Order: sequence, then structure tokens, then C-alpha cells
Amino acid sequence: MNISKLGIIIRREYLNKVKKKSFLIITFLAPILFAAIAILPTIIMMGTKEETKKIGVLDRSGLVTPYLENNDVTEYIFLEDVDPEAVKTNLKEYGIDVFLNISELDTENRTVTADCYSEKPLGMDTGSLIENRINDAVEAYRIESYGIENLEEIMAGVKSNVHLHSYTVDESGKETISESGVYMAVSMILGMALYMFIAIFSGMVMSSVIEEKSSRVVEVLVSSVKSTELMFGKIIGVALVALTQFFLWIVLTLAILAAAMGIMGKDKLMGMMGDSETAQMAEMMAPGVNVPGATIDLESAAAALTDTTAVAAGEPTGMQAIMGTLGNLNVPQLVISFLLFFIFGYLLYASLFAAIGSSVENEGDSTQLQLPVTIPLVLGFFVALYAFKAPGSSLVFWFSMIPFTSPIVMLARIPFGVATWELVLSIVLLVATFFACAWASAKIYKVGILTYGKKSTFKDLWKWLKMK
Amino acid sequence: MNIIEIKNVSKSFGEKVALENVSLSIPEGSIFGLLGPNGAGKSTLIRIINRITIASGGEVYFKGHPITQDDVAAIGYLPEERGLYRKMKVGEQAMYLAQLKGMSAQDAATELKKWFVRFEIQDWWNKKVEELSKGMAQKLQFITTVVHKPALMILDEPFSGFDPVNAELIRKEILRLKDEGATVILSTHNMESVEELCDQIALINKAHLVITGGTDEIRHRYGEDNVELEYTEGVERRQEVVSRENVNARLQELIASGVKLNSFKEVVPRMNDIFIKLVTEEEA
Repeated sequence: MNISKLGIIIRREYLNKVKKKSFLIITFLAPILFAAIAILPTIIMMGTKEETKKIGVLDRSGLVTPYLENNDVTEYIFLEDVDPEAVKTNLKEYGIDVFLNISELDTENRTVTADCYSEKPLGMDTGSLIENRINDAVEAYRIESYGIENLEEIMAGVKSNVHLHSYTVDESGKETISESGVYMAVSMILGMALYMFIAIFSGMVMSSVIEEKSSRVVEVLVSSVKSTELMFGKIIGVALVALTQFFLWIVLTLAILAAAMGIMGKDKLMGMMGDSETAQMAEMMAPGVNVPGATIDLESAAAALTDTTAVAAGEPTGMQAIMGTLGNLNVPQLVISFLLFFIFGYLLYASLFAAIGSSVENEGDSTQLQLPVTIPLVLGFFVALYAFKAPGSSLVFWFSMIPFTSPIVMLARIPFGVATWELVLSIVLLVATFFACAWASAKIYKVGILTYGKKSTFKDLWKWLKMK
Repeated sequence: MNIIEIKNVSKSFGEKVALENVSLSIPEGSIFGLLGPNGAGKSTLIRIINRITIASGGEVYFKGHPITQDDVAAIGYLPEERGLYRKMKVGEQAMYLAQLKGMSAQDAATELKKWFVRFEIQDWWNKKVEELSKGMAQKLQFITTVVHKPALMILDEPFSGFDPVNAELIRKEILRLKDEGATVILSTHNMESVEELCDQIALINKAHLVITGGTDEIRHRYGEDNVELEYTEGVERRQEVVSRENVNARLQELIASGVKLNSFKEVVPRMNDIFIKLVTEEEA
């Protein structure tokens, strides 16, 4: 290989792709989309929060009044000696939005009836809030009516509220909190990202090969450089494009998120996400996400991205558990594995796609020849989807070892913890397969790029492979 | 001295034999015509010389040593099927191809600018290739073939796609480059340009070499030793072809009859006729 010529080829391939409008658009629009996905649920939650309602209450039973406490969304005004029919039709006159009419105590059934009147329909949250309060009042009355001493305490003691906290334990007995939902989200994102990256960028290599062949410029090129230099220059050039895009996506997404936090107020945004653990949350996030311009480390980046996904999915899991779980992820291992599996997975598929591209004269003809290469890629994707349901199954294990599916499946497994020897073995197999496929692809490519005329078949490719 | 020496070169693709035991010498500073019908093996031979394909057997020597990958920097190749990156800018494209031939960016820019001016396409430097007319794209392609001052140029049908004015421009450039010491391998079906330009030729048919040698020598060799006489008899111009043995007798006759002799010249067969004769003889 002539390194300086390889450099010239890489440079052209890189600049040519990076200067394309489509690259610029995707590179700058995608982070806006990512950030929007992260922030939108919060904004929606903020926007849909109900306004404080003034509720006029006529409590003829006298039971419920002590249970009605003002809060963010409800302000109770207790009415006495009013005609329900008059209030009901003149809400404004009484300065209220809602009229809650509670009947006298039905001593026989030991209950009350309650009706609500308002101009606009009550939101579900407000409705169920009021309902719960009335039920609490009636329950308390019933307990009391049994006349048993301490019954209220007994009943309170009977009520249970169990939440399953799961922990992973390592050999030393160290416990770490783990929320499988979080691992699933991380696993799915990683598997999908790797699948998409490999598919998109190796497809880009194939198009580039076809472009050179169909425009016939390739014959001039191979009269200056070796066909292997041309092929690998192209593959490396596109790899650099991928890494550039990947890097820009992370930086831009974080910048947009940070800017959004700056504008909307960090505490407010976090508070909306965090629910009850607002304070803790804000504290935990504070060192990670700063106002624009500040440096942002990768760990908090992953955290910021993933916790919002969980929120988006509507997971009721406590933020603390999510953050704890994310904190347990081995981020350096994750990042290094992602880069290694992406690079070698991409190299493997890109060299195969380059060989296919060299054997056709236009993209349309490539469909049939692509199939055997696309199948393992798609298979890997589907197994990866299964991986986060059963990360320990033998199917998932084997597919994370087989080189053609391993990049995608292994990445989906990593959040659940993978032994180092498995990672190393998988990478070694992948790299070895890459070298074998690259050698074979280079041979096919060399003949393919100069073969015009009839449509190539696998038989032709095999013949070219054996050619000296 | 021979810039290219081909010794017993063979090439087969699977069972198909593209070249069989071909030996040729291409003298430095000459224009060498590579002739042959379509599919005869010319393209394969060209690709072997510039190392796009490697011969199955035999050797190729470049300036006396076995040819290596480094030698291709001294070769300029204009393939028959022209092609450039359509979406790339003209200047960038030319710079790229020149740098692949080993020129520094600076040298490439200087030399290219000169050529662009000479071919009057300097205004097109920043245009995209797809915006060029066919003739302009051909000029650009020719420039990228010769910009690195190759010692050997391989031109496959260099005149196709050019109008007569531009074809003449290219013809003059080829002769100028030859004067500067370059060697040209010219592969073409245009026999007039072979007669006009080529010092030596080789004819390849069905994977093997049929004939090689000096253009004039071959034309004379295949001549039938005839002489063409042209004279005016009264007011009528007449022509006749006479074999050399009988020419003296016939001349005396004519002079005695009192006609005016206009010209007297040896009949040399056209390259075209020799080509057809040799190729059809093989068929038979």
C-alpha cells in the first residue's frame, strides 16, 4: 500500500461526502430531533398541567370537609346555607369554577353521594383527586363506626405499598441497584444505533463504488493506484465520515439540551422529570449538565440521553433508581466497545458491500446480490431486539459471537454485563473475519470494477475470487 | 532504446485466452500504433502495460527493468471509455487525478492552470463536470492524462468525441509531446491517423500478434510493387497502375505516343487495406 496515495483517496472520499448537502442537513437536524425527543415530554407535561380550580363545596354530611386540603390544582371554598340548584347555575356569581355537592350521610349504607358541576369538564387528575378524598373520608367514618379501639392504626398497618427494587450482586457481594427497564432502553438504543450506522455507512461505500464504476472513472483511477488502495481508501474515508457525524451528533445534542436547560431553567425542567425526588434529582444532575459553553463529559451525556428516554416511555420508575442504574453502567467499557464493534462491524460489511458494488453497474442491479449480506445484518438486529428480553440466553450468546451479527447483538448485551473474555473473543473473531472478507472482497473488487456488460451472478463473483 | 519491452506475454481469464505469447518492442520517443479488431486483446495488453491487470505469463520491461507499480506514475492513460466524477468540480477533479499520479498539490495546480489556458477551458475550473459539453469533458480528460508529463502515454481512441477542430488540436498536442521526448501508444481504428502519426505499429488479432514493425516498412512490404502513372492524352487525364517490371517499357510506349506525363509514383497500400487483408486472411 502506498500510504500517501491512500491518503489522497481517503481525503477525496471524506471531503466529497462531508460537503454534501444531505450530510450537512442530517448532521444538523438529527440533534435537534434527538434533543426534542428528550425535552418534549417535559414540555408537554408542563403545558398540560391543570390550572388551579376554585371548588365550591357544600358538604351536608360534614364528613368530607376536613379531608379537603388546598393544593396546586385545587382551592376549596366551603359554602354554607346555599341552594344547590342556585349555585349550580350561577358558578361565576359565587366566584367558583366547580361546585361540589355532597349529600347528607346515608346512615343505612354508611355512605354519601357527591356530584360535581362545572362549565368545562373536569380534568381526570382533579376528578380522581376529589374522589379519593371523599373515599378517604367515608373509609375513616366507617372504621370509626366499628367502635374498635385503634382500628384506624390497625387498618393503616394492613395497607401495603411494596415496590420491587432489584439489585445486581457481584462476587465480592457488592450490591448495585438495577432497573431492568433502564438496561433495556440502553440496550435497545445501542443495538439499533449500531445496526443503523453499519447499514447506512456500508451502503454509502457501495454507492460510491458503483458511482466510480458506472461513470467509468475507475479505469483511470486504477491506472494510477492499486485497486486495493482504492477500495480501502474509500472504506476508510467513509468510516471517518461516520465518526465525524457521530461525534457532531453527540456534541450538538448535548449543546442543544444544555441550551434548553439554560433557557427553561434547570430546576424547573428537572423538577418536572423528577416528580417526588425533585431535589435529589437536581442535585445529581447538576454536575453533569451545565449551562451552554461548559464542558460536558460523556458519562453524563449518556445519562442525560437515557433518563429522558425512560421518561418518554412513561416509566413510573423512580428517578433515583434510574440514575443509580445508569451510574452502574460501565461507561468506559460501553464507549470502547461501541467504537470497536462499530469500526470492525462497519469494516466487515463495508468490504462486502464494496465487492457487491464492484460487480454491478447501477444500484438497481445490486438488490439481488446484496441479499446474502443484508440477511445477517437484519438477523443481528432482530436478535438484538430479543437480547434485552433475555440477555443471558444461549441464542443471544451465540449470535454475539458469530462475527456477522456480533457487533449488533453484543452491544445490546453489554448493558446487562458481559464477561471480558466474551468481549475479547467476540472482537477477535470479528477482526479475523474482517481480514478474511477484506481479502476476498479485494479480489472480487479488482476484477469486478473492470467487468462490464452482462449482469453478474454469484457464480461470477466466485470465479473472480479464484482468479489469480 | 525501448521504453517498453513485452516478452511472451499471455493472459487468460478463466478459460478465455485474451493474449497468447505476445512479444513487442516500443522504441522510446516513437508513436506506436496498436491495431486490431474489437475484442482482439488490445485493451488487455494496454491494461497489462499499465498494471491494471497482471499477465498470466511473460514479462513486461519498462526502460530496461521489469515494470513495477512505481513506474505507473510515468504512464498517462486515456481509456477508450472516458469517465470523470460527474458531481465533482472540474478543478478539484483534475487536481485529484494529478495527485494520484504523484504530483504535489502545488505542481499540479501550476501545470493544470497552464493546460487549462492552452485548451481554453480556464473559466470552467469551478464548474461541475456534469455541466461540461462532451468536447470539453474530453479536453479535461486529455489534460488529466498528460499533466504529470508522463514518459509514456497510452491513448485509446483519443480522437473519438472530438469535432474536427478539436481533433486537430489533440493531434498537434500529441506531436508536440512526442517532440518533447514522450512515447505514445496509440490504439485506434482510424487508419488515416495511423498512417499520419505512427512510426511503428503492431497488429493484434485473436489474442496473438500478427505483425509488428515500422509503418512505412510494413506498407511497402505489403505493396505489390506497382507504379501508378498519370498522364494527359489530348484533353483527357488518365491513370494506370503498372507493375514495376513493366514500367520502363510502358513509359517508353507512352512517351513515344506523345502523351503528357503528369505523375509517376510507387503504389503503397493503405493501412486500411493491409488491416483488412491480414485480419480476413486469419479468418479464412
